[in-house]
Amino acid sequence: MSNLRKINIDGTEIEVDGAMTLIQACEEAGVEIPRFCYHERLSIAGNCRMCLVEVVGGPPKPAASCAMQVRDLRPGPEGQAPVVKTNSPMVKKAREGVMEFMLINHPLDCPICDQGGECDLQDQAMAYGISGSRFTEAKRAVDDLDLGPLVSTTMTRCISCTRCVRFTTEVAGIAQMGQTGRGEDAEITSYLNQTLDSNLQGNIIDLCPVGALTSKPYAFTARPWELTKTETIDVMDALGSNIRVDTKGREVKRIMPRNNDGVNEEWISDKSRFVWDGLRRQRLDRPYVRVDGKLKPATWPEALSAAAAAMKGKKVAGLIGDLVPVEAAYALKQLVQGLGGNVECRTDNARLPIGNRAAYAGTACIEDIDSAKAIMLIGTNPREEAPVLNARIRKAWANGAKIGVVGPAADLTYEYFHLGTGREGLDALHKADHADALGKETLVIVGQGALREADGLAVLANAQKFAAETESKLLVLHTAASRVGAMDIGAVTTGGIEAAFDGAEVVYNLGADEVSIDAGAFVIYQGSHGDRGAHRADVILPGAAYTEENGLFVNTEGRPQLAMRAAFAPGEAKENWAILRALSAELDAKLAYDSLAQLRTALIAEVPHLAKIDEVPVNEDAALDVEPMGKADFLPAVKDFYLTNPIARASEVMAELSAAAKARAGEKIAAE
Amino acid sequence: MGILNSLLKAVTWWNGATLNTVIYTRRKGQKVGEDDQGNVFYRNADDSRRWVMFNGEVEASRISPDWHGWLHRTFDDLPSEKPLKHKDWEKPHQENLTGSALAYAPAGSIRAAGQPAERRDYEAWVPE
Repeated sequence: MSNLRKINIDGTEIEVDGAMTLIQACEEAGVEIPRFCYHERLSIAGNCRMCLVEVVGGPPKPAASCAMQVRDLRPGPEGQAPVVKTNSPMVKKAREGVMEFMLINHPLDCPICDQGGECDLQDQAMAYGISGSRFTEAKRAVDDLDLGPLVSTTMTRCISCTRCVRFTTEVAGIAQMGQTGRGEDAEITSYLNQTLDSNLQGNIIDLCPVGALTSKPYAFTARPWELTKTETIDVMDALGSNIRVDTKGREVKRIMPRNNDGVNEEWISDKSRFVWDGLRRQRLDRPYVRVDGKLKPATWPEALSAAAAAMKGKKVAGLIGDLVPVEAAYALKQLVQGLGGNVECRTDNARLPIGNRAAYAGTACIEDIDSAKAIMLIGTNPREEAPVLNARIRKAWANGAKIGVVGPAADLTYEYFHLGTGREGLDALHKADHADALGKETLVIVGQGALREADGLAVLANAQKFAAETESKLLVLHTAASRVGAMDIGAVTTGGIEAAFDGAEVVYNLGADEVSIDAGAFVIYQGSHGDRGAHRADVILPGAAYTEENGLFVNTEGRPQLAMRAAFAPGEAKENWAILRALSAELDAKLAYDSLAQLRTALIAEVPHLAKIDEVPVNEDAALDVEPMGKADFLPAVKDFYLTNPIARASEVMAELSAAAKARAGEKIAAE
Repeated sequence: MGILNSLLKAVTWWNGATLNTVIYTRRKGQKVGEDDQGNVFYRNADDSRRWVMFNGEVEASRISPDWHGWLHRTFDDLPSEKPLKHKDWEKPHQENLTGSALAYAPAGSIRAAGQPAERRDYEAWVPE
């Protein structure tokens, strides 16, 4: 590579890309530069001045290392590499000065501030600041903003790094935040005092280097050092965002994103972040058995024998809900199929082809979005189905990718070519000229809204054909975290959910709350929350929620990821696979494993790619037969973003957000 | 009663008046009154000293505000002769219960009566 440049940082010479900034080059050299405004995934602002370094031979003043590129530095007289010092007296003095300025208007709030203990300003004041201040005048105060029910503001603490403004405009794609005024009067404000209208707004809490923006639901409930941190996987959408669950005792106190460039970068949606209050409401904490039409509390042996008595000799249909880990789905599949019944994971009627991984998971991975030059969205609204993925598409759009949409028009936070609302639009795509797409990296994303009707398989085949015509990769965007994993283990019935229900006398419902079950069948519900499924059930077996058991989840691109237990399930609730194993003993159809490790061994022997954690297997393209599609428009896959699963429906915060979103949607119609 | 009580009286100051106070009261004390707990109040001839002989435990907070005022020379009128005006909303005087079995224990304290309140970190679903 010709644009590699040599640079000498604190005496070590390294070779880096000339387009890198000095702060990145320093990081390569293993030198940490303090910073507030600079963030890897946002544009460069250069306004906090904390990252000052000394460029030897340059102008006799410190330079902001976040805003200067390596190739901007002049080499020495004999062509030596330019020299940058990060620990010289000039740099030390500069940092102390900047920190003193920063603390002039920062209140001494730390003991009552939620950011205390994980505050960049606190840490850096300790590391780079001086012990006193020479400022004796009055400090300034700033009015607080109302940014809605998620982000609490204390704007006097703000150091004007503008990370929140840059995140909301660049990543979330909303224009409600900005900075007004100059000098001492500079303030971060929201436009016309609007609240934030984005389902990614929680990320500004993490981005804020001080305590100006903190989490409202988490306010004053815990300190960071008393929380137990567990790195796990989110199940609120099919993206499988990497999260960290912070618990105190058995309670989940907050959920934060983890960095995974392949999946969620370092963002998570508001539903993933604030759903935790749903984990402590409406919980199933003891088994119930329906006696004389009323659900009565029961012990585990009573409930298991009632379930076993109902299942013995009957035709059983097993339903796999949206939040179920692969292990539980596998145990249910083995149990029900061992009894001669059917299992089905496509509870939303999605016509995903059995066994054809290239068609139900796709051939692309999420990272392909970054480099795509054109992206076609078919029957999907990624802003509702996977907000973090939508932010990634927005990033590609900002880098020049062209986006096309076939499906209902919606505000996706970026511009797109609207090429039709339904199947005609997809049909017309075949006839269009694809010459400018060939030879480039392009991507077709198909949503579940397109696949749920009777002709869903034909729509998928047509989308696949379009991908083949344009030499694009295909990504099937799912809405259920469990779906791809359950498809991988073959927990499906030919003919879909109707065929699985056909003649079933007993329905074993493993956390599927969005399905309506006919009145005749005996229903055994196993799940974590008292939702629709529990009301219809004849026997309720309380199971663990996603933060309460170890499990495998395969995300929408087909990447297996391990979720870890952060807390224990409430009351008498047990881990899902263990309930199925206990029930199998009661049914004299004992499953051949006594521990999760044994279950996983059996699972991996059957489906080897599940052993490759955090790797996306390459799917050989296997084309479906193209059949004619119907005529209708594509329907949205997600009706209410904030209320898609039983945990979210139990959450008060989600209910509030959902009501606010509905009110806002109504307002817009009124204004038009 | 008995040797033990006499011994306690002799070596502690909180079980009734000490020997010195008893002797001094016999020699110089002029009884001025008695409150409803049976504590007896004295003064000497020139009223340069005022004191109390407790009926039982020596505990300063047992003295009601009326007699406290006289003892500390807030006023010279004896409460038995010219009682303080009491409003009808005033509660009767109560001694400081700290350290005793009747001391206040907040809800959730292990000293509180009965079972501690059940604490749940989740809300269970209840059918129907």
